[in-house]
Amino acid sequence: MARVLVADDSETILLLMRTRLELAGYEVQTAADGQEVTDLVAGSGPPDLLLLDAMMPRKSGIDALRELRAAGIETPALIVSAHQDPGDADAASNVEISGYVTKPIDFDALLEEVAALTS
Amino acid sequence: MAVIGVGRFLEQRQDFEDQIARSYQVEMEARVKAAESGNPGVARETVATEAARREELQDRISGDTRDTAILVAAGLIAGLTGALLLFSGLIASLRRPLEDLVDASQRLAGGDLGTRVEIGGLSETATLGKAFNEMATQLERDAAERERLDRLKDEFVLTASHELRSPLTSVQGFAELLMLERDKMSPKQVETVEIILDNCRHLGRLLNDLLDIARADAGRLALQRAPTEVAPLIDEVVRTMRAQTDAAGQTLSERIEPGLPLIDVEPGRIRQILVNLLTNAHEYSPERASVEVSARRAGNDVEITVSDNGPGIPETQLEHIFERFVRGDAGLTQRVGGTGLGLAISKSLVELHGGTMRAESTVGQGSAFSFRLPVAAAPAPAPSPATAEQA
Repeated sequence: MARVLVADDSETILLLMRTRLELAGYEVQTAADGQEVTDLVAGSGPPDLLLLDAMMPRKSGIDALRELRAAGIETPALIVSAHQDPGDADAASNVEISGYVTKPIDFDALLEEVAALTS
Repeated sequence: MAVIGVGRFLEQRQDFEDQIARSYQVEMEARVKAAESGNPGVARETVATEAARREELQDRISGDTRDTAILVAAGLIAGLTGALLLFSGLIASLRRPLEDLVDASQRLAGGDLGTRVEIGGLSETATLGKAFNEMATQLERDAAERERLDRLKDEFVLTASHELRSPLTSVQGFAELLMLERDKMSPKQVETVEIILDNCRHLGRLLNDLLDIARADAGRLALQRAPTEVAPLIDEVVRTMRAQTDAAGQTLSERIEPGLPLIDVEPGRIRQILVNLLTNAHEYSPERASVEVSARRAGNDVEITVSDNGPGIPETQLEHIFERFVRGDAGLTQRVGGTGLGLAISKSLVELHGGTMRAESTVGQGSAFSFRLPVAAAPAPAPSPATAEQA
């Protein structure tokens, strides 16, 4: 069973993501900010997929991913953004990501993408 | 000069007149003396001398009068000439600063709020120049303040539409989660959740539209233009709209002029405009109405028109149809799900491409929305065969 690490500073979004992903058969880990992401990866090893909110307090999803990449972790990552056009603000420039997910989240499309990245 | 001349003339004339009076007196005394002596001949010499003397004085008076008249006239002429010269000098020294002020006013009206005039010259023009500069400074300050408020407004709308996305994701996501278990719900419950989802989608469209408007206002809506074929773009949108028009029993047709050149646009944005226009035509027209998309060459542009034979738009509404949150009468009923921003965004997008957009309508006959887009500069490859009358 593929393991997905989801990070978002909103508890309801985390609950929603966990429910949808678990219903689709994934093992889900959750983090409330970028610091928890790096701690979890350090503790239990890299997951099969990272699903990170771009903007979070303490440490953003982008910053967490940048640290993981610097540590040599190549796990595919999707960045969740509140921006309709992610290019205009979150600028994940110079960090390797697999794609953007925009809010409101189209879960059918997201689950397809998650399946493709974890297969 | 003339005044001094006249003064001196008057003094001298008095003197001459006194002398004449004295001369009469001398003559009279001589005559009296002669009469008393009984020898009138004695006075004859004095009488002649005094008469000659008076004549000379009289001559001098009239000569001086003439001279003075000439002097006065000359003085007047000189004075007038001087005044004229002074006046023309005054005009010249007024003219430059006034011309400068006119130039500066025109620049200011043209939007160059940094315009100032040089202050100098006569005190009157200097005062005027100073007042002008103060006015320009005030205008510049007001414009800066307005710009700051506009920026704040744009930032506010951008931020608000971001902040609303997370809660919307939650509401929509949990409603969808409920729908995954629709088998366990009553029809009434299913209907309730469907209403929640409908409104979530509407809110999502509203957020996207608001974001587009705010970005366009803030000049942050950058286009990714590419030479694009017109016919496939229209085909694609018509295909996605057909389910809706079919459901309403409406006819949806295309009429595309053969051999259209490529247009220089961001295809996604043109698709967005076409969806907006076709959605309006569909939603505001009754069942079994006809909706048509046509495209033709118009000079250096391609003109695309979406027309319908729906109820039409009254002239008073047509004037404001591209303004934000202005909606046709039918839009005020539940039936139409638009945001009231679609046409405003469409027009902004067309203008961002360097094109123009207009609306025509006759009540009872229908409406037509047309927009023109620039032809791509690159040489066009052989055009694809035209799609004609595809109903």
